Amino acid sequence: MSVAHRTLSTRAANWLLLALLAVYIVYNLGPIFWLVISSMKSRMDLFSMPPKIFFTPDWGGYQSVFGVGVGANSAAAIGVFDSLLNSVLIATVGTAAAVVLGTLAGYVTSRYDFRGKNDFMFFVLSTRMLPPVAVLVFYHIMYAELGLTDTRIGLILIAVFINVGLATWIMKGFFDGVPREVEQIALINGYSRLYAFRKLVLPMVGGGIAATAGFCFIFSWNEFAFASILSTTQAKTLPVKISAASGATGIEWTQICAAGVVLIIPVLIFFYLIRKHLLMGMTFGVLGRR
Amino acid sequence: MTVRALMFGSASALALAVGLTAGGASAQETTLTFIWHAGTCADAIVDIAKDYPNKSVKVVPALVPYGPEWHNKIASEFAIQGDAFDFAMWDSQSTAEFAGGGHAVLLNDVFDKSEYLKADLFPKASLSRYGEYPDDSGKYYGLPVNQDAYGLMYRKDLFEDPKEMAAFKEKYGYDLAPPQTYQQAREIAEFFTRPEAGLYGWGQMGGREYDFATTASNSFLWSFGGELYNPKTFEVKGYLDSPASVDGVQFFVDMFKYGPQGMGNWGWDEVNAAFQQGQLAMAMQWYYFNGSNADPKVSKFADDTGFGILPGAVGRDGKFRRQFSVGGQGMGLNKYSKKLPQLVEFMEWYFQPEQQMRYAKVCQTGLKAVLDDPDWQNLNSYNKSFSQALNYINDYWHLPEYPILLDQLQEEVSNAISGAKTVQQALSDAAAKQEKTLERAGYEIVRGDSTPDVPDAAITPVGTDKVVPVEFD
Amino acid sequence: MAAISTSTAPAARRKPATNRLLIFGFLSPTLALLLFMVAFPIFSLINYSFYNFSVLRAASGRKWAGFGNYEYLLTDIDLWNRFVFTGKFVLITVALQFLVGIFVALRLEKNFRGRDVLFTLLMMPMMLSPIVVGFLWRYMFNSEWGVVNYLVSVAGFDKLDWLGQTNNALAAVVIADTWMWTPFIILLATAAFRGIPRTIYEAAEVDGAGAAFRFFRLTLPLAAPVLFIALLLRLIDSFKQYDLFFALTGGGPGSSTETVSFALAKTAFSYFYTGEASALAVVLLLIITGLSLILVRHLTRLSARY
Repeated sequence: MSVAHRTLSTRAANWLLLALLAVYIVYNLGPIFWLVISSMKSRMDLFSMPPKIFFTPDWGGYQSVFGVGVGANSAAAIGVFDSLLNSVLIATVGTAAAVVLGTLAGYVTSRYDFRGKNDFMFFVLSTRMLPPVAVLVFYHIMYAELGLTDTRIGLILIAVFINVGLATWIMKGFFDGVPREVEQIALINGYSRLYAFRKLVLPMVGGGIAATAGFCFIFSWNEFAFASILSTTQAKTLPVKISAASGATGIEWTQICAAGVVLIIPVLIFFYLIRKHLLMGMTFGVLGRR
Repeated sequence: MTVRALMFGSASALALAVGLTAGGASAQETTLTFIWHAGTCADAIVDIAKDYPNKSVKVVPALVPYGPEWHNKIASEFAIQGDAFDFAMWDSQSTAEFAGGGHAVLLNDVFDKSEYLKADLFPKASLSRYGEYPDDSGKYYGLPVNQDAYGLMYRKDLFEDPKEMAAFKEKYGYDLAPPQTYQQAREIAEFFTRPEAGLYGWGQMGGREYDFATTASNSFLWSFGGELYNPKTFEVKGYLDSPASVDGVQFFVDMFKYGPQGMGNWGWDEVNAAFQQGQLAMAMQWYYFNGSNADPKVSKFADDTGFGILPGAVGRDGKFRRQFSVGGQGMGLNKYSKKLPQLVEFMEWYFQPEQQMRYAKVCQTGLKAVLDDPDWQNLNSYNKSFSQALNYINDYWHLPEYPILLDQLQEEVSNAISGAKTVQQALSDAAAKQEKTLERAGYEIVRGDSTPDVPDAAITPVGTDKVVPVEFD
Repeated sequence: MAAISTSTAPAARRKPATNRLLIFGFLSPTLALLLFMVAFPIFSLINYSFYNFSVLRAASGRKWAGFGNYEYLLTDIDLWNRFVFTGKFVLITVALQFLVGIFVALRLEKNFRGRDVLFTLLMMPMMLSPIVVGFLWRYMFNSEWGVVNYLVSVAGFDKLDWLGQTNNALAAVVIADTWMWTPFIILLATAAFRGIPRTIYEAAEVDGAGAAFRFFRLTLPLAAPVLFIALLLRLIDSFKQYDLFFALTGGGPGSSTETVSFALAKTAFSYFYTGEASALAVVLLLIITGLSLILVRHLTRLSARY
């Protein structure tokens, strides 16, 4: 194979791969773009054929979400900021707790073999398997008994519960990728297991922790089934509040799109805050780079 | 992000959370919480309630999206006998389910004890429709708070265009006018179906969700003399799939060819959107949406939109029948609420004509005093036809098993629409499934010797020998 | 030498006790929380599965049904059809997400200007509320004013009835679901790939290894633990997919796009057949558990090879 030929085929391959990536980017971001512009359209423009890309913006959707302007009289928008605070609280605390619990559990299940370990791992995974609808009524009963209905604590517990399985498994996966030599070296040098865990191993799985935190935040933030049944007024979360969008004109599409945009912003903020950890690479080489 | 920082953060946040959970309504204030789906009607109640003279009572909305969450939220709370809400507006068809389960307050007791709230505040027919369970028992569990009926929208500009009128007369031999029978509707729809021009003759719902398809198909079924079941004997086979019923649903399925391609999946929202964009010459649509369809800010063709009463049909026995679906919501009181006395007091104020007239500006009240008032008749262009329409309505099964029967019928009608089954097969399968449901629920099916071809003739017949036209203005 | 052995000897004596304490301490919060949260619901679920009971119509009483509910479900041909349909959906959508996700993660490995920003943006579909995603795609797939059909017609093809025909509808849901969850794989795969030290690649390049070799012999095996978990989690989550099916088709036409989750939601909440829904939930749980066990065993064997 001549040098020229090899370069040509690798270059062609590279262009092809780049094109495929571009297709994916369009597929991924296109609908987001569509969501954003739809949120700014008037209902008339929303259904125009062919679809409009250029139009005069109509902020009715956002106004309805926040209860201002055209939405000033909207009963659905009452308490929207309280729901925002509820959601932020529930998602943040829930994520923190799930990540902490999952990291700890993931570590010992990665490093140790003990009786019942596989059962434990499987039990933890199984909490994620059941669709919430199947057990919603039972949670409602349980929560009513415990006085947890319509409380933030109640929803925080749910947020942790739905995520800790995911967190444990993901963190175990990342811990599995850290060679045991790291702790062995520390132990040989007289440090405790706990010290090795905190100072050496944990930083190495920073990317995993960040990814886990990101997922947990997304799932807690968007959680709908439990929140809609287990909260009514006090602890109502934002997704439940602003998805209540159907009115005299039918389904309030602009309001839903606006709600979608509003809902995604805190998640973007969260991901922005953890971006350094999310995209970090291996800072300690396993092969002795220091 | 050390473990310590995380733990500290979550501990303090937890403390904050606990702190926030303590607290609630102030000592003297009573909150009355209600569940409804978001919309102008809910906005109206909250707005009017702001003027309630008793300032220690606050009316708090707990709104849900229109859809299954609405039913589920109420049902789930009832299931645990909870009091997260004090009253709720539910779809009229759900009254039987909630009353039958023993979760709604028997309003007769309220009527007895209250000075002002009495059954005769509301038209008897409305009260029966939205709150009586079982049928003809005189026991009421819901008050009409948003009456609705299925209606007809049409493009006045197309119907009044001289060129169209001439062409139509030439082709079909009679004057172009909003249809009095479905047979006429079909010809008019055929006439106006011009896909290349982006115009279609007829819009109707076909969606699988909730009650979309069957709201429309039932209107056809009843008008052709069919029935959903025999309420006295609980027979479904032979009634739901009777020849008359099949006629009706077949006609309904055939009408899809006069609408856009995806119409088989439409709900009321798509019908609105298509009509507002000018795609449809006629459409079946709830009166509820007439307000927005007449609004130039919402509909491109608002000024050209006419509203009227749905057509009837001449059935296989030669009789003319006009029946279509009732809609709307009733208001029920939560039996497990601890604030019923305050709630009743609020209702005694809220159902005064003054408040209901305010409400009627955006929603359909059920208060007789307002409905008889000429001011109400003139509020908009369709209130007059709405009160007329109430003469022709029919409803689903008033049984607690309504959601199950509905889903089973929806599934089969959807199969008929998509062509997966013939109409006869679909209705027979639905009938079989529904009878199983009824048996499972403990009803005894008393099978007769035979079933009528045209069930309506045997059950509360409404057929007339000649077509009874309604006026369109 | 002597110094080291002295320091290890007491540690060796200490180890078992501290290890056990560590294990217990690190596991018990998770275990306690999960047990607290699932004990009552799972018990109720299994208990009610043996009864003919409706929580909403509790007044009509509770009849013992033994295995009646299970018998009814397992002999219901419609239920098996739903399982087949669900299986089809899960396999197609997870395979797509996995392949596309890994591909994108690989392509984004090399740093370029704006890569980090692009990466965060690409996470967005996953961040959206599933309710909004359902509405959005319903709107985009509308056969008249939807942007998808617009693009189809611009490309010269006939407009499709996306949501009213079974196979089209399945394709539509797969497109929407893949769109939403590929970022999940991208994120995990990227985190996994980042964890592989550069030195390994450098060494391989020095030895003249090509890109394909590097991927299949180095990247993939080293990233395998995390990738495997990503696959497992996506499989489990896809079984639960409900919002998209509800928003796009409502399970129709007929019930041809009803997944098992959908049927479960209907039975539990629309029909309020609590007993039957609980039995169905137990059946679903057993099936997913069984499949997961098989998968876990299969893939641990696979990763042991490396």
